[in-house]
Amino acid sequence: MLGKWIVETSYFLQNYHPYRSVKNIIYNLLENNHYHYKKIFDMVMIGLIFLSIFILIRQVKHELSPEWLFFNNYVISLIFLVEYLFRLWVCSDTSKLIIEQYEHDLFLHRPFSLSRALKLAFLKKFEFIRSPSAIIDLLAILPFFHELRMLRIFILFRVLKLFRYAKSLRRLVSILSSKKFEFVTLIIFTLTVIFIASVLIYVMEANNPKSPVNTLFDAVYWSVVTIFTVGYGDIIPVTSEGRIVAIVIIMLGIAVISFATSIVVSAFTEKLDEIKKEKWVDDVTRLKRFYLICGFSPLSLEVIRRLSKGSIPIVILENDPILYEQAKMHGFMALEYNPSSMETYTYLKINFTHQIEAILLLQDSDVENVFTALTIREMTKHVPLYSILHHLEHRRKLQMAGIDVIINPHELVGLMGKILSSQPVAFEAIYALRSEQTSIVIDEIVLTQGSESIFYPLLKEKLFARRLSVLGLYHHKNREFRFNPKDNEMFRNGDVAIILGDRILINEFKSILLRRGIG
Amino acid sequence: MRRTHALIFGYNEYSKQILAQIGGNYREITLFVSNPEEMSVAIKEGWSAELFDLSDDWSVIEERFDIRLLTTFCALANDAENVFLTISLRSTFESMLIIALSQSHESTLKMKSAGADKVMPVLQIAANMIGDMITKPNVTHVIHDLLYEDEGLGVMEVKIDQHSPLIGKYLHDIDFGGDFDLILLAMVDNERENSFSFAVQGYNHHIDKDDVLVLMGDKKKLALFKQFERG
Repeated sequence: MLGKWIVETSYFLQNYHPYRSVKNIIYNLLENNHYHYKKIFDMVMIGLIFLSIFILIRQVKHELSPEWLFFNNYVISLIFLVEYLFRLWVCSDTSKLIIEQYEHDLFLHRPFSLSRALKLAFLKKFEFIRSPSAIIDLLAILPFFHELRMLRIFILFRVLKLFRYAKSLRRLVSILSSKKFEFVTLIIFTLTVIFIASVLIYVMEANNPKSPVNTLFDAVYWSVVTIFTVGYGDIIPVTSEGRIVAIVIIMLGIAVISFATSIVVSAFTEKLDEIKKEKWVDDVTRLKRFYLICGFSPLSLEVIRRLSKGSIPIVILENDPILYEQAKMHGFMALEYNPSSMETYTYLKINFTHQIEAILLLQDSDVENVFTALTIREMTKHVPLYSILHHLEHRRKLQMAGIDVIINPHELVGLMGKILSSQPVAFEAIYALRSEQTSIVIDEIVLTQGSESIFYPLLKEKLFARRLSVLGLYHHKNREFRFNPKDNEMFRNGDVAIILGDRILINEFKSILLRRGIG
Repeated sequence: MRRTHALIFGYNEYSKQILAQIGGNYREITLFVSNPEEMSVAIKEGWSAELFDLSDDWSVIEERFDIRLLTTFCALANDAENVFLTISLRSTFESMLIIALSQSHESTLKMKSAGADKVMPVLQIAANMIGDMITKPNVTHVIHDLLYEDEGLGVMEVKIDQHSPLIGKYLHDIDFGGDFDLILLAMVDNERENSFSFAVQGYNHHIDKDDVLVLMGDKKKLALFKQFERG
């Protein structure tokens, strides 16, 4: 009966949308590093920890108002308690586990084993409870019972909670934990040396009335201070035998420190690439808008140089380690991931709609570009896709893969060859404009309806007359281009004026238009 | 003087496209390839080709063509060989118009040093096109139409004839937009050692014989202007 009720409740919770969405929000808030509000939550928690420590320190020599004490003892502790309970809640999905066990038993025609299902659920929760970070969380709540004076010191455990909220601290722990075996070896070695040294110094010195080593604790204290090369000098051996022990301990102390340092250094060295990669992924995740270039090649290099003149950052995805290294050597933001794999975009948590300005497929083969295009189109239909075409016979395949703009360099060179051989000066002029080698550029100005009365008179002003030339108006709505428009040509919202002139002058023209209310 | 013959060196994707595009501009086009394999591919694809080597014996060209009427496309796949071909041709034929393809910025500079009149940096051309299409799609569309469409808008170079009614006038005296519905893009001043400048740079040039005007506009109106210019 109880079992049936629990199974029904589990099914209800699994399908009850408000419950799932609340749990999802709480999970994101506590565990999802890419969730925007998690950063705010973490900052608040860090603030509470420092406030708590401040109150503890202040309390030592000053009288604090009851409100502050109440806030520290109850409010902060309660927040930490609620956080702990939420973490316990979201660490596993109990209802799902129960349903899985129920369906498993049903499939095998066995009676539903409630105890087994609950045991599994409990083990999952216990896994969380016994994790070091959860233990720290629990200890940080203990000051709640502030009447037990000793428990106040547990406030310091709140400092350890910082590891949860500060990513760099978590990274430090993960790096050092990769050398667990070495650290355990070092600790055993150090404890053995301390033990032997303490016993030896006690045996050698304790019976000498002039020696400051009187108890075994004095001996242990002296050993620890000596082996870690601190050497306060408050306790020193006075017998020759004791001094020989000191010489050996000092030498071993240097070995211990060197060993510890080398472990830390090698841990960081080994993880350096991983840390860098994680950082780059984080950097990309934080970008608001960027161009994504799939594949690094000499053409990519030229395209990046061209696009770098704008303000939108560029990210490169390159699977080949050598090409990836080349991209990094040029100082570009490159990630060593396969651009044709969906996993890449999922791992990088790329938001195609909000983050990507355009994707450029510049890999060395049409096959790879088609494959990548299909991967991207599986994930989004809306992002603009540009691709290089290496073989003309593949054009149709690229179109079918959903690529919006296809550029074939051979075709371009052919067309340019035609112009170049018949009209070399015109070619030079157009090429100079295109490559932006001079200050003269062709630019676009987006116009608004009814702005003719400002646009044309401004063009005739002394500053711009004969120095800016309107090549034409691109009527956005009917996609019609009006070459050399007359002064009475009407504008509609979104029409684009194609303008030729010095870059500085065009910018000035644009800003005046903006000031006067159009453009 | 209009160049009537073209030579294309190399048979690859680039030269195939050049062959396909420049057909209407020249009376005769001759394809030179560097090895029998390329030759058989070219023949298979319907082009007649001749073999050449990079030695300095260019007597075949000298005997068959009037060098002043020749345009040469150096389109070998290898940049080093292309530079060598360019320097070899230039050292033999001073008045030949040499257009060379380069695969990198570095090679572009070398081609120029080797004596190429014009260099087409293929990667830069493609990169500029991609960049323009992303950042200025409308401009790219217009330029494409101006340059490559057979009908409608176009670009034309007009070399000022000795009988031109424009001789003696200043650029600012002529209303190209109002009178001819054309836009003056650039000009080459013959007096100032062929210095090239854009019209919007604002210089009020004095128009002389052999100056070159680069105009944009409707192809029919461009043709009318040419007639007018010839007096």
